[in-house]
Amino acid sequence: MNLTSVADPIDPATPPGPRTADPLLGLAREGRLAAQYPQVRELLTGLPELELQRAGRALARLDPDQVSRQHPAVPSVTVAVTGHGTLSSVIPALTVQLARHGILLRPVLGDFDGYVFELSDPASQIYRCRPDLVLCLLDPSIVFDEIPVPWRPEDVERVAAARLQVIEGLASRFQDGPARGRATLVLNTMPLLREYTGQLIDHLSRARLGVIWREVNIRLLRLAAQNPAVVVLDLDPVLADGVPASDGRLSLYAKAHLTAELLSRYAQQVTPLVRQHLGHSRKALVLDLDETLWGGVLGEDGMDGIEVGDGYRGEAFVSFQRVVKQLGSQGVVLAAVSKNEPELVAAVLREHPRMVLREEDFVQVIANWQPKHENLRRLAESLGLGLDSFVFADDSAYERGLVRQELPAVAVVDLDREPASHRQNLLQEGWFDALELTEEDRERSARYRVEAERQSFLDRFDSIAEYLRALNVRVRIAAATEAEAARVSQLTLRTNQFNLTARRLQPPEVQALIKDPAALVLAVHTGDRFGRNGLVGAVLIRREATAFRIENFLLSCRVFSRGIEEACLLSVLRLARETGVQQVLADYRRTPRNHRVADFYPRHGFVRVTGDEQVTTFRHELAEVAPAPDHVHLVESLEEL
Amino acid sequence: MNNIRDLIGLVRDELGLMITLDDIERELDELPGWDSMHLLWLVTQLEQRTGRSVTVIDVLEAPNLESIYGLVASH
Repeated sequence: MNLTSVADPIDPATPPGPRTADPLLGLAREGRLAAQYPQVRELLTGLPELELQRAGRALARLDPDQVSRQHPAVPSVTVAVTGHGTLSSVIPALTVQLARHGILLRPVLGDFDGYVFELSDPASQIYRCRPDLVLCLLDPSIVFDEIPVPWRPEDVERVAAARLQVIEGLASRFQDGPARGRATLVLNTMPLLREYTGQLIDHLSRARLGVIWREVNIRLLRLAAQNPAVVVLDLDPVLADGVPASDGRLSLYAKAHLTAELLSRYAQQVTPLVRQHLGHSRKALVLDLDETLWGGVLGEDGMDGIEVGDGYRGEAFVSFQRVVKQLGSQGVVLAAVSKNEPELVAAVLREHPRMVLREEDFVQVIANWQPKHENLRRLAESLGLGLDSFVFADDSAYERGLVRQELPAVAVVDLDREPASHRQNLLQEGWFDALELTEEDRERSARYRVEAERQSFLDRFDSIAEYLRALNVRVRIAAATEAEAARVSQLTLRTNQFNLTARRLQPPEVQALIKDPAALVLAVHTGDRFGRNGLVGAVLIRREATAFRIENFLLSCRVFSRGIEEACLLSVLRLARETGVQQVLADYRRTPRNHRVADFYPRHGFVRVTGDEQVTTFRHELAEVAPAPDHVHLVESLEEL
Repeated sequence: MNNIRDLIGLVRDELGLMITLDDIERELDELPGWDSMHLLWLVTQLEQRTGRSVTVIDVLEAPNLESIYGLVASH
């Protein structure tokens, strides 16, 4: 928070008046929407729900191929939609939600009530389109349409069991089908409607139906744990927000069994899955302090005067801090950027008796009077993270506007003057959603803090070489185990800078590679005098008749530039020579973020074989393989790290 | 929704179908870009804008925009 924003409520960065979809609809009317597509994200910022729906209908009319032709850099995702009823309204809803994140939707709508056929038939259109995600929308009529009259709760149990068996079969067929390893199948829990419960006039039967229905949804939710390619969205929390599930007229007459409102909220839930699939997950949460983590202005009110813990507002800020701490515990990197005196901030974080968040919860606390976008830029550099992995939350419209303008890659959370809404505002977009957490996630913050210690250790040395020797870097490179597949997948999805081909792999794809005798997945663990870094890198190799082909090489940005990458590459070369192959081929595919590794292979003795603008292939003939850098110690077991 | 021009404006602006007064008697399926999902959307819109409930079957069975407007206007 910033003092000027209190004195002057007019926000220079936001145009006056409520935001509407009119500018976007204007472009659509003039036929310029595809040409101006890169502006769409900005045009959608801050639109209320109804305006988003208007924009969604206009965007859904665009031809995605036309947009891609004019703007090849816009990321796109193919989503197939299938299910029981009329589902077309999910498409504009998903189109606009993804467009808000700069993602172009290529939708493929299955046939009416075609889900069983389409998911079973490997040649159906939902597989032919090579989808990234398949949404199979389930609604309660798939069960209740088949219930005889008169009926008792046991009839529902019987019919539901049969339907569930079909759905479970579809899920496992999807798991092994043509989209294996590549696509995610999204199912959902089914709402129980009053029009069904109300037909049972005694409360005992009604309670029995309630139990049966919840067991149906529990079985659906369990599918996710049984099938790594399946995600089951729980719609209960959405319904608890008061979203109507069904409109009897539209359900009966138009077979639209779920309301447009519910499908719109469903699309919101799908969006983080898409972002994650594309490797667009956010990693760091950067928070303002005054009016964000506590009430009042620290510089004016002093440590004793800020609102945290006591009173209505004080309690609201504590509850927000608890949410932030909870996110931090799951691997979200926390930092604070505040216009404040650093000594005062440090004192509050150390001494204020009611604070939930403490110094050790943050990887960095930046309190100064510099513009926030400059602080964010420096923070990204020192953490080795891209700005596109940052989420910035601030109550000041001025600060948010400035960050949006200066750093469009940063996601900005609009907090307002009502601290009781902070939790919802932060959590609404699912910025940090992940399919699965790994050990590394839970320890991430601690590792970034150790990195800060490493930095100050570095300052004590005159030369990098001297520092590296004192750092005592240890590296273990070995075949990845199946238990490590989730983490290797995560590296492919989340690493952008040291990612030689940016080939994203879902966990089942990594599992398959680990089992494939023609492939070799090497996991890189490292450690140094400050402790273990965990699984920080991977090398994906394909064994060809006379060559190893390095299909991808990944290293977490936390451990760049310490000779680790070189040691690993040389290990691969030695392994290739021992295996008896004659050469090692390696690909580099250019992305907007990996230019700093463009010369990784040629720097280590590879020569360029073929290449164009996008992909270059290099070769190493193994005549001479240099030894690992002498400050790096290769070890065999994890215990030696 | 005071006259049929409002309905045409709604369809033009919100659904992006470039129809004119000349199109109001055309079969809905003949309108360029028409999709049956538009009818569902129209039910919701008409109800929101007039504050009255609309008989869904009548909208679903209406042959053209003129008939749909008639359903709202006849209230």
